[in-house]
Order: sequence, then structure tokens, then C-alpha cells
Amino acid sequence: MADFEPKIIVFACNWCTYAAIDLAGTSRLSYPPNVRVIRVMCSGRVDPQFVLEAFADGADGVIVAGCHPPADCHYIEGNYKAYRRFELLKRILESFGIEKERFRLEWISAAEASKWVQVVNEMVSDLRRIGALKPKLEVD
Amino acid sequence: MDEVRIGVYVCHCGFNIAGVVDVKKVAEYAKTLPGVVVARDYVFMCSEPGQDLIKEDIKNQNLNRVVVASCSPALHEITFRTAISEAGLNKYLLEMANIREHCSWVHHEKEKATEKAMEIVRMAVAKARYLEPLEELEVEAKKSVLVLGGGVAGIRAALELANYGFDVYIVEKSPTIGGKAALIGYIDPKTKGAEVVSKMVEKIRDCPKIQVFTSAELVQLTGSAGNYVAKLRLNPRFVNSRCTRCGECEEVCPIEVSNEYNFGLDKRKAIFIPFKNAYPPYYAIDYRVCVKCGECEKVCRYKAINLKEEAKIVELRVGAVIIATGYDPYRPFKGEYGYGLSPNVITLFQLERLLDPESPTKGELIVGNKVPKSLAFIQCVGSRGTTLGAKSYCSRMCCTTAINSAIKIKEKYPEMNVYIIYKDIMTYGSDESLYEEAGKKLINFIKFEEKIPKVTISPEGLFIDVFEYTIQQEIRIPVEAIVLSIGMLPPRDIEELIAVTRVSCGGEGFVREAHLKLAPVEAPTKGIFLAGCITGPKNILESIRMGSAAAAKAMSLLSKGKITIEPMIAQVDEERCSGCGICVAVCPYSAISIKSVNGDRIAKVEKALCMGCGTCNASCPSGAMQHLGFKDVQLLAQTVAALRGESYG
Amino acid sequence: MNGSVLVVGGGVAGIQAALDLAEQGIEVFLVEKAPSIGGKMAYLDKTFPTLDCASCILAPKMAAVLRYPNIKLLMNSEVEDVTGRAGNFVVRVLKRPTYVDWTKCNGCGICTQKCPVKNVPDDYNLGLSNRRAIYIMFPQAVPKKAVIDARYCMRLNPPEKAKKEGKTLCGVCERHCPTKAIEYEQKSEVIELKVAAIIVATGMELYNAKNIPEYGYGVYQNLYTNLEFERLVSATGPSGGEILRRSDGKHPKKIAWIQCVGSRDVRFNHYCSAYCCMAATKQAILAKEHLPEVQCTVYYMDIRAFGKGFNEFLERAKREFGVRYIRGKVVRIEELADTKNLRVVYEDTAESYLRVEEYDMVVLSVAITPNSRLPLPVELTSDGFVKLKDPYLDPVSTTVEGIFVVGAVAGAKDIPDSVTEASAAAARAALIAKRSMAREVRVLANGGVLNG
Repeated sequence: MADFEPKIIVFACNWCTYAAIDLAGTSRLSYPPNVRVIRVMCSGRVDPQFVLEAFADGADGVIVAGCHPPADCHYIEGNYKAYRRFELLKRILESFGIEKERFRLEWISAAEASKWVQVVNEMVSDLRRIGALKPKLEVD
Repeated sequence: MDEVRIGVYVCHCGFNIAGVVDVKKVAEYAKTLPGVVVARDYVFMCSEPGQDLIKEDIKNQNLNRVVVASCSPALHEITFRTAISEAGLNKYLLEMANIREHCSWVHHEKEKATEKAMEIVRMAVAKARYLEPLEELEVEAKKSVLVLGGGVAGIRAALELANYGFDVYIVEKSPTIGGKAALIGYIDPKTKGAEVVSKMVEKIRDCPKIQVFTSAELVQLTGSAGNYVAKLRLNPRFVNSRCTRCGECEEVCPIEVSNEYNFGLDKRKAIFIPFKNAYPPYYAIDYRVCVKCGECEKVCRYKAINLKEEAKIVELRVGAVIIATGYDPYRPFKGEYGYGLSPNVITLFQLERLLDPESPTKGELIVGNKVPKSLAFIQCVGSRGTTLGAKSYCSRMCCTTAINSAIKIKEKYPEMNVYIIYKDIMTYGSDESLYEEAGKKLINFIKFEEKIPKVTISPEGLFIDVFEYTIQQEIRIPVEAIVLSIGMLPPRDIEELIAVTRVSCGGEGFVREAHLKLAPVEAPTKGIFLAGCITGPKNILESIRMGSAAAAKAMSLLSKGKITIEPMIAQVDEERCSGCGICVAVCPYSAISIKSVNGDRIAKVEKALCMGCGTCNASCPSGAMQHLGFKDVQLLAQTVAALRGESYG
Repeated sequence: MNGSVLVVGGGVAGIQAALDLAEQGIEVFLVEKAPSIGGKMAYLDKTFPTLDCASCILAPKMAAVLRYPNIKLLMNSEVEDVTGRAGNFVVRVLKRPTYVDWTKCNGCGICTQKCPVKNVPDDYNLGLSNRRAIYIMFPQAVPKKAVIDARYCMRLNPPEKAKKEGKTLCGVCERHCPTKAIEYEQKSEVIELKVAAIIVATGMELYNAKNIPEYGYGVYQNLYTNLEFERLVSATGPSGGEILRRSDGKHPKKIAWIQCVGSRDVRFNHYCSAYCCMAATKQAILAKEHLPEVQCTVYYMDIRAFGKGFNEFLERAKREFGVRYIRGKVVRIEELADTKNLRVVYEDTAESYLRVEEYDMVVLSVAITPNSRLPLPVELTSDGFVKLKDPYLDPVSTTVEGIFVVGAVAGAKDIPDSVTEASAAAARAALIAKRSMAREVRVLANGGVLNG
């Protein structure tokens, strides 16, 4: 599967990660075009259902990204709420047989454009290695 | 709902997008998407003719949704919202597709970038189909401003605001306002730092609209633009305004610590006056070092000292906050160019104190124990990635300050050999005249590049070995004193500032402004403004001007006494709400409560308190709580469009 | 009612000042000598150090100016005379004819395609391309209105022969104009304004590089000023963003930037122009982005990378784009007769003798000079910049009460500093305007009582 190009859905908080992705642009960094970014105001807005929906609809990977704990969150503690939800979701995903490489919860501050690039690079290469998500629930 | 009629506008952004993304192809593709009735491309969508294209289409083609595929919403969402509202459309019926920062600027393969841009547009169109008109809320705004930091930038901002008739609170963590500018001997050849600051402080003193809190910290900031609640901790000063500055307390105080107001050149007592023109003009006890022996209290004839004083919490209501907490001088490590190993190696800030007539040496340049016959400045200490652990940026003020001081030194000690060892002399703009003057004063300029100078401390004295770049030769300079031109660091307590005010930092560690070029005094959060070195190195004049500008912006925001707040907040579908109260528990702003409506428990959102994070939406088990502008259906539509290219629903 | 403010100059500083004033509900007169606002920033392709496109951050502000009914644009106009004092200035503005009735012109641009006079040097592209005698300054101009350049118009300035014979020529634009906006008879007019305060934002011009004979500007074909180069790399420029040599239309392979042209030179201007080091760095990066094979060299005395993100930008130019920085004063430039290549002769400070290197394109980083020859009673510094009364205690105030100064006319500076000052001055001016208005209301009210 040398030519496999994974598709990754990213839920990025407006204040830190979305700004970091913008900064990657203004700094003219370069990364593979496999990511599709959905802007939310806070990582605490991301419903675990969105992640499940993304996998069900064919995403090969999902990233939820927000502001660094403890205190970067624009809404005081939305990042902690995301943390609690998605640590739990990780276990559920594993029980579905979805490999742990396919889901990442990341803290990327507005200044960390290079971290964003690194996360994308890592995930794309991980997913290229493990291949497309096999639809487990498919009938026949 | 009426039929969805979407217009898609693909911007070339000159070559910024069109150089990589086939914009025509993206526009053609957009036309095939469900709901899209028109799609166009143009060289600069944000320009007047570009905006006119959109407005014309809204009118002529009855559009009820607009997707602009251009840059980040951080840059132009407001621009296009305004444009569509001028054409009669509710401004929240706009969706931005970021095909510049997220696509053309980071991908170089034209085909793949174009494909991604098409998908980004598809996602935006999918979300746009579910957008709804939203109404802005108007709330009362307080005509008062909290100014954090009592340096020149903060003082300037406070004076301007008072002039506009606003109530101003200055919060300064040290026992005096004035900041570091008060400690700079000469800020230009004719002007003493202390003089400028004391003139500014005089005006503060005479202004009834300005209240100064020294030894104070902001510990909590809640609310939003127009209506902030600031909680201050007033640390005890232990000395009140009955103090006559007689100084007897200082004599009996047994505690001696390094004097930060002279950058460690001498010692001060635990009870002290920071500097001659400090304001408020009376003694303060440093609560961090005082052992409460009570000697001062005993000796004070004016009953000005009360060692039982405790920290107080004060709550202020303000419409806006100006952050002007400045910088810290770079802290050279022990052994950096001999720092800390020889009393003859001092920092630029220490030199500034020595040149001040109010200094411990009364303005005499005594380094070690005598006036040196030769002295060398080493520039870029801690700046421009020069030395180990140095910051990547230029600290902007050190070249001019060093040269200005060198000129002062030459005026006073014409026989002294003065060297300035530098990488590039940054006397930009009119400061160049100082560089010229320094040449006339026979100050020696020695340039280095990659190879950094080496300082040797030996029984024979101090030596600087430097590879002189212009003559490409290694030279050795014997000197009697070395001044390290240290740069600026973000203030030590910037972490706490971030935690309390929710501003964010750029890569170099200073606070990030809303836009580097066009909004240099605004933070990304509405109602928070920035002045002085908190956004990065500046000189004193630039900081002062920023103070004026930040005040002007705050005034402009609040002057109408009303402020509009974004309607992208939580909304309850009362039919679906079961009154479980999970949202009440997760809301960080206590904006939700459970009310009884006809006997049913139903969540209610207090609109003015909701900040629009959406965490209640994510935790609502019934889907009753929806984050306007980021509703489940809108975000899921985007997700599905990214993956399948089909419509959701 | 005398509660209005005059802003002189429609560059980024003037625009910001006007917008801030308008937001306060103050009536603003914005006087600009060109037919569009935008100033020097409108000529730029991108801005340092973020490489943000200049148009993307300026154009929306320009558009916003039109959105405020309380901003009155006086285009093609210059201030002639100011009398009075703070709260009560009387300003005479000379409005030059555009020969187009702007209340009728809708900016359709048909006239600019039909006009038969095709060889007029295009000011917006600094003469690197041609336009017609009737023109719209640039596609994103605000206001987007046509202007006739009387010097070239056959109707307004007919050839001698036609003049003698008393013939009326051409009239093509008039015939084609769908809104009947052409007014060949239009004359200059003098408008008198009463304002409470004045903000001077007249900015700067580039120093005339022809004054430096040893560089051969204006003589050598492949020698450009940095502003010309900016147009050359711009998507809206003369070649649609292709960097092409004037002599043969080919891509250059080696480009040199010469710093401090007219700056830091006792013969011309003592001051440092503050923008040029970063502008050259930006242009070298842009050249590399357009032509990855091109070799870029910057000749400098000191690199001035003092602003936020500047030094990092410089380092990036060196490391990532391989831009070469040579410390040395360029003594002269020579053109080679056959190739029209340029030989840069510079003093190598390291070896203290002259070295020569050949380039196929050279860009001069030209000094700025303030547009400070104004009919205003304000004092100037020895360098010709508008003098501040007391920069520490009263920033942005000139030596005349009620007259403020912002942007490059008060000293070489970059965009954020200009914008910062503009906001500060706008608030000051607004205060004077409001007080003046209140006073007038009071006077009127008192008068009413007395008379009643």
C-alpha cells in the first residue's frame, strides 16, 4: 500500500491549535495535505460522537487538539474536559479494534506551528504504515 | 426554511493562493455542490471590488449563504461579515474556507493542493447549508479600564484614558510605579529616565480619575469585554501615607538584601524607598524578606507602620484591560563573558544606574573600586541567538542605549578608551545620529559575526579576544571594565499573566497581538489591549506611543457605553431538555441554571455570561443544548463532507 | 458645527486615523493627493516578516473607509493653507480636476479600455508598464473612479498643430462613458474646511536615486529601485509577477540588493531609513520563491533586524533560502555594453580593497524622505521630519496645539508603528473635536437663552 494516502479529520480549537495551523501557514512550513481541519471554539466542544462519526464515515485518523493544560485554555478548563472525555474514548476505540495510532489528543499552543507539523507528519507516516481503517461493522 | 442559495467566492490572494491552487478549478467545482448557485474567483476578494462582487450577487441572485474561500477567519471573517450585512444578509450566514494558511502556504504540489482546496470548500459549503441568522446582543459597558503595569506604557495609557473621562486603575506589583525607565540614567543624550518618569508620575498624582494600586497583583479576571470583574490581591505595604520619609526605620532595620532597583549594585533594607521619585512617595516593607522584628514600628514617630497589615482582596469592575507589564532584563549566567566572576563585568542596566546622578556612586562611573581607564560594551548578550541560551530576537534598545551611554561616558571621561563590540549596530531611524556622534567621539567599534568574543579574567586584568570581522583578524583588547549589553526577556511572571488573562504567547515568549501589522495593540480577545514590551522589545518612546494607542482603542471600544457581544453562544431546545443539569455542572462561567417552566425542569442560559465555548453542547445527552454557529448538525455536516463528499442529513 | 478633523494623507496611517475617528462618530476630511487612498503600502506585494500579502491587510481597511458616511474623501487634493488654532482651524484645500464627475463614474473602466492614448507611463507600476490617458489608479483603488491625465489627453492637451487650428480632438471616453461622467471642462477648485484638529499623515517618498551618479540609476536598464522591484514581483504588477529584465525580458539568474542607498550617507541623508534591510530580505525571499534557481546577494553596512520577528526572518533568509549577505559599501555600478549585466564594485572591508561581482539584475534599497514640505506652521527636525513637541510626555503632538503627526513623516518607521501612532492621534484629535463641538453647542444654547 505504498500509495495509500490516509485522510485525517482534525478538530482544532480556535485559540491555540487553529492559530498554530495558521502560523504554520504564515511561516510557510510544509506538511502533507492529508488533514482536514474543522474549527471549534474549544476542544471542550468536541463531542466524542464526532470522532466516532468520522471513523464511521471513513476517516483513517482523527486528531482533537486544544490548548495546553494547565492554564492555556481560553475557557478556563475546556481542555481538561476534552482530556477526560477522550482518554475514555481512547479505550472505547481500542475495544472497537481501532488502532491507537488512529486517534490523537494533542495540546498545541498558538506558537507551536512546528509541533503541529510534527504531529501531522507522525500521524501520516503511522497511518501509511498501518493502512486504511477496515470497516469492522460492514455487513458481508 | 427557504431554499438554500449559496454563493462561493474563491480568492487568488495575488499569487498567495493562485500560485499553488487552481482557483478556477475550485470555483468550477464549487458550482457543482448542492445549494451553490454561483461561484466566482477574483484576485483579492477582500478588496472593495471583491466585496462588491459578493454584494451584487447577494442582491441579484438572492443568495442566503456565502462561502468565502480565502485566508484564515482570524484575518478576514469580520471583513466579509460586514460586507454581506451591508448587502442585507445576516452577517452570521457566512462561512470561511481557509485555503491559504491551511493549504496554499503549506503545500507545494499543485494538484494535491487544489484537491485539498476543493474539499475545504466542500466542507464549508456543507456547513453553510446549516447556518442560521443570529442576532448580536448588546450589553452595557463600563467606562473604566484596568491597566496592568505601572511602567511608562501603563502610565501613558492611564493618563490618556483619564483625559477621555474614564476611570482608571493601575495595578503595579512593585511598591512604586515608574517601571524600568525610571532607572535608566539617560534615555537620550539630553533626557534622564528618572526625570521623564517623575513628570509622568506628577500627572498621575494630580489626576482624580486614576487610582494606583502598588504591591498589587491581578489574581482573577472574569467576565468579558465591557464587563470584566478583576480580583486584585493587595499585598501588605505595612507603611501608610503618614510616613514622612524621615528614614529612621531604615536605619534600624536589620535585614539587608540586594537592591533590585540598582540592579544589585548595592544593598537595601527590608523597609525601603525604591528610588528618589518613587510613587507613592513613602516607605514600603518588602513582605517577602521582612522578619517582623518590630524595630521599625518602634522607632516610627508618625505611627505610619503597622506590621499586622494583611493582604486584601479587592474587586473592580472594568470595561477593558490594558496589559503593560513590560519585560525582564536578560539574566546572564555565571561565567557568561566573565559575568559574576569579576566585579569589573557589569550589565548595561547596572551601568545605567551608575550614570544616574542619584546612583550609589552619585553618577561616578566606578566599576569594581575605581573609574576604569578603558571600558568595552559587548552587544547582543542574550539576543539574536548570539550566545548559548540567547533568544533568537534582537532586543531593539540595547545598541542605542549602549551608544548613548558611551557618548555620556566620553563626555564625562574624555580620556577613557571606549569600545563597542557588536554584530550589527541597530540604531535604526533617527537614532543613527547617535552612531554618527559616537564616531566623532572616537568610540571604537569592533564587529564580530559567528565567532563570539571571549573574555579572559587574569591577574594581569581583563582581556577580550575578538575576531574583528571587518579586518578579518583576531585581536586582543585589554580593558578595565566590561559592560554586557543584555537584552530583554518576557517578564518572569508571564505564565501567571496568561493563566489569569487568557492571552497567548508567540514563539519568542512574548504576548501575541491580534495582528502583527494592523492590530499591534489589541489582543485576540476583545476588550484586552497590549502596550509596551509585553509584546516584544521596544524602546521607551515606542512603549509610550503604544500606551497612547492602547488607551485610544479601549476608549473607542467603550465610549458608547454599550458593547455588542458575539451571538455564538449556547441555546437550549426546551422541548428536548430533560433538566438533567449536566450542562450546569460543566459550564465554567456558571451561565446555566435549571429553571422550572410549567413544572418541567429546563436549563436556562444567561446570555450575557455565556462565553461560547460549547462544552455544554458536547456534554448534553439529549442534544438539547446547542452551540450557535457550531451546532452538532453543522460540525457533522463538515465532517461528512470532508470524508464522503455527500450531503449530511 | 466645528467638530470635525482633517487627516492629511491617505496612506495606512491616515486611513487608520480616519477609521478610528469615524468610529467615534467624528466627521473626518481625508485629503489625499493621489486619486486613490492606500499610500505606499498599496504598492507592496507582501509585508515582512510574516510575508502576509500587503493587499490583504490593507484593502479591507481601504474598503472600510467607504463604509463610513462621516469620512469625506477629498482625492486629487492638497492642503494649500491653514490658519486659526486648535478647535478652530480654517483649511484651504486645492482640489485638482479629475475631468470625471465622480458622483456619476461607477468605475466600470470602459473608458480606460477605449482611450486611444496608450503609451502613458503607469504611475502605479512606476513607469514599468503603460496605461491610457484616462485611467483608474489600480484595480483595487478606493474610490474606484476614473481620472484623466491632462498631460497626455488629446482633448485636454492637443498637439500644437491642432491647437493652432482650433480643432477639438478625440472625445472617445466621453462617447463611451455609460454614465456620462466625463467633464473636460472641470477646473481646480479651492475648498474651505473648518476643523477642530489636524492629523498629518503625509508619509514619505523614495529618495531620488538619480542623485547618486555612481550607481547609474535611470541609465542602466536592469537596475531597479526596491519599490520598482516590489511591483515586479507583484501579481498585480507590470508582468503579472514574473521577474523579467528590462533589457531582454529574461529571468535574472543573479540579483543583488544594495542597501543604504541615500541613507546613512553624509552626502544625502544622515538617518537610517529603518525599513530597507527587512524589505531587501523579504524581496530576496520573494525572488527565491518566484525563481528557485536565482542567486540573491545583499550588500549591507549593518543589518537592522530590530522588530518583532525580524531577526528570525533574517536567519530564515540565510538558512532556508540561501540569501548571501556581504558586508561592504558599494562604490559604483557599471553596465556591460553587450549583456546589459551590471558589475557591482564594492569595498571589501575585510581585505580593504575593491572587489567586483557581476549580476544580471540589481535592486537599490532607496532611502525614504519625509513628505514634510507642508503649508502648515509645524516645526521640522534637521533631517526634515515633522518635529514632535515632547515625544515622552506628549507623543504624536507637533509643536502646534491641535496638529498631530503620525507615520513616516515624523521619522522612518514601519507599518505597525505607523498604525499605533494613528490610533493614538485619532483619540487625541477626537477629544479636541468633541470639546470644540460641546463648546459650540454651549455657545448656541447660551445665545438662545440671552435672545429669548
